[in-house]
Amino acid sequence: MELTKNITLGVYLPGETYIHNLDPRTKIIAAAILITLLLFIKSYLAYAIFLFLIIAILVIATIPPGYAFSGLKPMLPILVLMWLFQLFLYSTPDAEVIVSWWIFSATDAGLHMGNLISMRVLFLFTVTTILTLTTSIVSLTDGLESLLNPLKKIGLPSQELVMTMIIALRFVLILAEELDKIIKAQMARGVAFDRGNFIQKTKSLFPVFLPLFINAFKRAEELIVAMEARSYTGGKGRTKMKTLHMGRVDLFAGLFILLFSALIIYVILIVPPVI
Amino acid sequence: MPIEINKLSYSYKKGTPFEKQVLKDISLFIRDGEFVGIIGPTQAGKTTLAQHFNALLIPGKGSVVVNAMNTADKKADLVKLRHNVGYVFQNPDYQLFAPTVGEDIAFGPRNQNLPTEEIEDRVAEAMDQVGLDYDTFYKRDIFALSGGQKRRAAIAGVLACKPQIMILDDVTAGLDPGGREEIIKVIQKLHTEKEITTIYISNSMDEVAMLADRIIVLDQGQVLFDDQTRDVFLHARKLIEIGLELPEVMSITTRLAEAGFDLPGAVLSIEEAVDAIAANLQQGQVKD
Ligand SMILES: Nc1ncnc2c1ncn2[C@@H]1O[C@H](COP(=O)(O)OP(=O)(O)OP(=O)(O)O)[C@@H](O)[C@H]1O
Ligand SMILES: [Mg+2]
Repeated sequence: MELTKNITLGVYLPGETYIHNLDPRTKIIAAAILITLLLFIKSYLAYAIFLFLIIAILVIATIPPGYAFSGLKPMLPILVLMWLFQLFLYSTPDAEVIVSWWIFSATDAGLHMGNLISMRVLFLFTVTTILTLTTSIVSLTDGLESLLNPLKKIGLPSQELVMTMIIALRFVLILAEELDKIIKAQMARGVAFDRGNFIQKTKSLFPVFLPLFINAFKRAEELIVAMEARSYTGGKGRTKMKTLHMGRVDLFAGLFILLFSALIIYVILIVPPVI
Repeated sequence: MPIEINKLSYSYKKGTPFEKQVLKDISLFIRDGEFVGIIGPTQAGKTTLAQHFNALLIPGKGSVVVNAMNTADKKADLVKLRHNVGYVFQNPDYQLFAPTVGEDIAFGPRNQNLPTEEIEDRVAEAMDQVGLDYDTFYKRDIFALSGGQKRRAAIAGVLACKPQIMILDDVTAGLDPGGREEIIKVIQKLHTEKEITTIYISNSMDEVAMLADRIIVLDQGQVLFDDQTRDVFLHARKLIEIGLELPEVMSITTRLAEAGFDLPGAVLSIEEAVDAIAANLQQGQVKD
């Protein structure tokens, strides 16, 4: 019984590769560009090219692909459900029916829509995961803060926002670890999570989620005390221990991403969307 | 219900870049009615080992057989096994969830689908065993308990399942000396009166020296010693080397021995120490 095994979002995999050593801002901007591109991709060819890039990045960053994608495992049921919904519910006037069953019928349009949306979610998740796998929490914070800094002029509390986001990201893993322990503690008293009818199954979640929430609040409170004890009063007047620095590698990576974007945009323009 | 462990190895996060082997080739046997202490520096793998005893973890390699049932067996009734092998966790906050003490203790027996009267009897008995007064605490809010009371409620919650084996994972950690003593008394009484096989995991040498008949010393996922309590403490130097502290009495007697006293290699209680030192002084063996 190990829950944390398949959690990759928010996990940092230390390394000294080209990707790891990029300035966090470069990586954040690159991820943002890739995510934007993903929202416009509507052809299988473009996704194939995208997959190629993802694999290249994984290889350069020496992240085992199996591990990077294992984070999707917990999401699989939702993805499948989403795919089914699109398959049976989405349709266009000129769509061809491929299967029909009872009151449902699946069209080719629904099939393509299901495929595209599932792939979009998959790729969005993978891009974000690669960003956190190759960027430590500290650099991620510094990078985000630095990027959001200009927005301070219009009154956006950028440092506080980033701090909140980063803490939330950290809590994903911490809560999963706690959940693991709580589930074990209740299993030790004979809870059978997989037995019984729907009502019994739902009831068996109480002994797990109650301690989880209570402990989460407790942790949050401890964190507040720890931060206040070290005189944290928000972003105002804080200085950095490490200053960020962009180098030639960042320039190179930036150029590469621009070229890649041009390629994808070209494909988007010339290849007709499947739907 | 003997526990038989054969060449057990276990790795967390197997198949990921974070894979970490925590247990290496462990073999041991725990007989009925024993009081076994498991000690070792932090991160030695004590909890990981103990979670194999009630099938919360299933061996990566090797086997764990409890009462002739292999925990890796797909057909094994693990829910029943967990009722027979009780496990009290390090942190009671992971276990306690019901609004009142009584309801929380009733959770285990309720999972066994027992009749209501039987559940109530068990709750009352378990509360009595851990020294929580029924009338005072039955309706007490879980959050209104002190640290020591929470531990006792957690132990009662496991006792109410009527286990034949009880695993206590660092249950005195973070308690004040008074709280520790109360918990230890409860555990000692359960073992002698109910003859429950007890597996006591701890970082505190004093507690283990006082309680256990036999000690298993784990270090970096391997069994370093597995012997009668007294014999384990004969390896004082090695224990210190792996980062353990000797029981308080022994840290004094070993120093006295170095200063020329003629004392036995393992001294487990203050009475023993007093007798041995007195004998030395009478014989006038010590120069200064
Ligand atoms: N759920 C888990 N996932 C990954 N690694 C884990 C998990 N639980 C424990 N570990 C790792 O296994 C090793 C052994 O941990 P374990 O809790 O068994 O040690 P322990 O002897 O009980 O320590 P302590 O005295 O601190 O309780 C540690 O290095 C720990 O980081
Ligand atoms: Mg432990």
